[in-house]
Amino acid sequence: MKKSALWSFMLLLVMALFLAACNNDSSSTEKESEKKPSGDTTATTDTAAKGGVVTFGTDTAPEGVYDPAYSGSIVDSYIQGFTMEGIYDVNDDLEYVPNLASWEISEDKLTYTFTFQKGVKWHNGEELTVDDWVFALETLADPDYDGPRYNYAEGIKGAKAKKEGKADKIEGIEVVDPYTVKITFEQVKINNLENLWSNPMPKKHYEGIAVKDLAESKQVRENPVGLGPFKVKKVVDGEYSELERFDDYWKGKPQLDGVIVKVIDPSLAAGAFQNGEIDIMAIKPQSVKELTALDNVRIEETNGVSYSYIGLRFGHRDKATLKNVADVDKFKSKELRQALLYAINRPAMIDAFLEGKAAVANTVIPTTFWTAAPESDLNQYEFNTEKAKELLTSAGYVDKDGDGFVEDPNGQPFKISFGHYAGSAAFEGRSQAIIQSWNDIGVKTEQATGSLIEFNLYNDMKDNDDAALEAFFGAWSTGADPDPSGLWGNDAEWNYGRWVDAKNQELLNKGLSEEAFDKDTRMKTYVEWQKHFNEELPALPLWENMDLYGINNRLQGVHINAVGFQTDVYKWNVQE
Amino acid sequence: MLQYTLRRLLGMIPLLLLISLVVFFLAKMMPGDAFAGEIDPSNTNPQYIEEMREKLGYNDPIIQQYGRWIVSFVQGDFGKSTVYKKPAAEIIVQRIPNTIFLAFTSLVITYIFAFIMGMYAGRKPYTLGDNLIGTYNYLALAIPSFVAGIVAIYFFSFKLGWFPFNGSVGVGLEPGTLDYFVSKLHHVLLPALILGLMGTASYTQFLRNDIIENSRKDFVRTARAKGTKESKIYNKHILRNSIIPLITFLGFDIATLISGAVITETIFTYPGIGALFLESVGRRDYAVMMSITMLLSLLTLFGNLVADLLYGVVDPRIRLD
Repeated sequence: MKKSALWSFMLLLVMALFLAACNNDSSSTEKESEKKPSGDTTATTDTAAKGGVVTFGTDTAPEGVYDPAYSGSIVDSYIQGFTMEGIYDVNDDLEYVPNLASWEISEDKLTYTFTFQKGVKWHNGEELTVDDWVFALETLADPDYDGPRYNYAEGIKGAKAKKEGKADKIEGIEVVDPYTVKITFEQVKINNLENLWSNPMPKKHYEGIAVKDLAESKQVRENPVGLGPFKVKKVVDGEYSELERFDDYWKGKPQLDGVIVKVIDPSLAAGAFQNGEIDIMAIKPQSVKELTALDNVRIEETNGVSYSYIGLRFGHRDKATLKNVADVDKFKSKELRQALLYAINRPAMIDAFLEGKAAVANTVIPTTFWTAAPESDLNQYEFNTEKAKELLTSAGYVDKDGDGFVEDPNGQPFKISFGHYAGSAAFEGRSQAIIQSWNDIGVKTEQATGSLIEFNLYNDMKDNDDAALEAFFGAWSTGADPDPSGLWGNDAEWNYGRWVDAKNQELLNKGLSEEAFDKDTRMKTYVEWQKHFNEELPALPLWENMDLYGINNRLQGVHINAVGFQTDVYKWNVQE
Repeated sequence: MLQYTLRRLLGMIPLLLLISLVVFFLAKMMPGDAFAGEIDPSNTNPQYIEEMREKLGYNDPIIQQYGRWIVSFVQGDFGKSTVYKKPAAEIIVQRIPNTIFLAFTSLVITYIFAFIMGMYAGRKPYTLGDNLIGTYNYLALAIPSFVAGIVAIYFFSFKLGWFPFNGSVGVGLEPGTLDYFVSKLHHVLLPALILGLMGTASYTQFLRNDIIENSRKDFVRTARAKGTKESKIYNKHILRNSIIPLITFLGFDIATLISGAVITETIFTYPGIGALFLESVGRRDYAVMMSITMLLSLLTLFGNLVADLLYGVVDPRIRLD
């Protein structure tokens, strides 16, 4: 009995091993068949005079959606930065300049005529025509389209009708010839162009796929076709994407043989740089010290389009009417708000928590924008506790009961609950520094919920106007459109402080109106808006962040600006 | 035994339902959803997010969402990942080979080292060697794998350059070639060593104690009295008996084989189930998260059953009925 039991057990063990081996085996063959089609492109290495392959590091894995109309992740958009191209580009001053097409605006400012470059080739050899772009716009407005970018077609006349299924085609699109197309918009708006979808879709490549299946199709997910200087050669899920040079790139043959986009854990970035495993990566201020110590790596920085601020609560959002309602009076006093900003030593905080890699901001339009107000027009709110206390006293916030903290003008105890989200190690200190600054001028401040708040929960609380977040830390990255109404408009969803102010909305509307087509007028309007913001301080601007990139010294030709690091990637080259 | 097995298998069903219910509710009660925190003011419009939430049913009561999920799950539809926009099953299947490869390698390492250390410690208990082995084992058990992982990467990858520190395979290699396989093995070795060497404690100590216990039994005394060589006594008589209870561990290893090592995989950017699971929790990818949870629960329950059955097979004194 004992022996047979042992034998049966042995048999089981052997079978278990065999099964495991089987599993291993079948899985690798499965992988093989899966990857063959994308992998058999002919190798072009060694033929170019310059060549070389560089590795771009990211901290999260790409999702593998290669058409910008369907993707939402930042890493996917990095890959698209190598493989895709749009009809317009954004230059260093964040102005929109022609790329694949140039345009003329009609007298009535409703119709834009786009003229496409001739001889631009897709990765599959087809020539780019306006049909490809029209196809993209029609797809975005299709009722079956399930990507997140419909708002980039919404402004075109007749797009709504198509989206609602009332029309087959977008009325406002008129193809003149294969290189010319007229787009008519619903309304005259200065940023119609900025809100127009810029990426053509390879119509031939997507032929025969229903719009509702497009997002999951092989053509989008596995063998994408783009216009950029590099094409996708091979993708290993969750690990790396291998891009190879596209010889027929319309601006000229790229100098590199290829680019590898590789996922690495951010804690290992410094080591990977040192080893030469990665050549370029966006880094956080916290890594600056470590990377400066390496002699094969340089750090390039540029003023970015993101800024940090402290939001102050003025009300709540009525979810039924989608309007912001100002019904919280805590921060109604302008002097109080100004005092709160005077109390904070922003340069010291930047040095302590951001390695000095940020610049004090006094408004919420980052200085890279051409619309940014000159600093001389803005009150600088330099750290001054005396001034802060004076302002408090003049507004009636004085300490009546002698506990060291001010009471409000009615003599009631006054206390601010300040919220900050959890994340990197620097956040705890940053949050405490702000709380301390306010306590120092006699405004009693406590941390909302008693500790840093988990990020998702924090977002939920902001969305639901949680009462605990009377003042809260926030940060925005604005994109290239200078119009701030999406964040600070009276009824904007992301105006989290729920600040409602007539002059604010009036100026924001003016900045988008017909008269704003005159660049000077537009600039003046936004400067005026910034002065208004700077004076009223509906939120306390803290600093604008710098974008930092670690770059291996062997990689040259990288041009960095506020939009990113991927301007003219075909000029990247390797100098050993 | 057949009856027992069937009974246990049937018993799993309510258990799995209960697990799924609890996990689903906990997951949904986490703040945020797949669309929270992804807000990019210039690129995303609130209407789209609202539309998608409505379409995916995130606005319905949780119990209704659970009902919908469990019905399609039972029918074999595991849902679609909101992150990768692909069926959850497809993504998981893609990651399984990597995970099994890592787990298998690390288990082999664990077995080999635990076997050697356990044999030695059992044969010479309460000596310096035994104490050293014990100290090592409990230390390894106590050190968190992410610390061990980062230290190992620092020394073996950055300082010595022996092993790659991320990924599961070298760039640009074609599957099926010898280079590809060697590269896979090279990539898996460091994480597998970390996992394997840090997890020897239970096996080693179990084996050690069993050997000590057996060495005091009558049949060993008899063998000694007969003048059998000491090495033969240990390597044949005792080992054969001591190894049997270890078999039952095999059942528990089945779940480990798939669950991967959440933290280790993440540090090494090793694309397996563990890293996927962590990511799906962080990004509220409910379909993937629930599918992995169910897969692991099932394997754990199944592993327990196998362990119990093996006990019965190994030790006839235990009756399963």
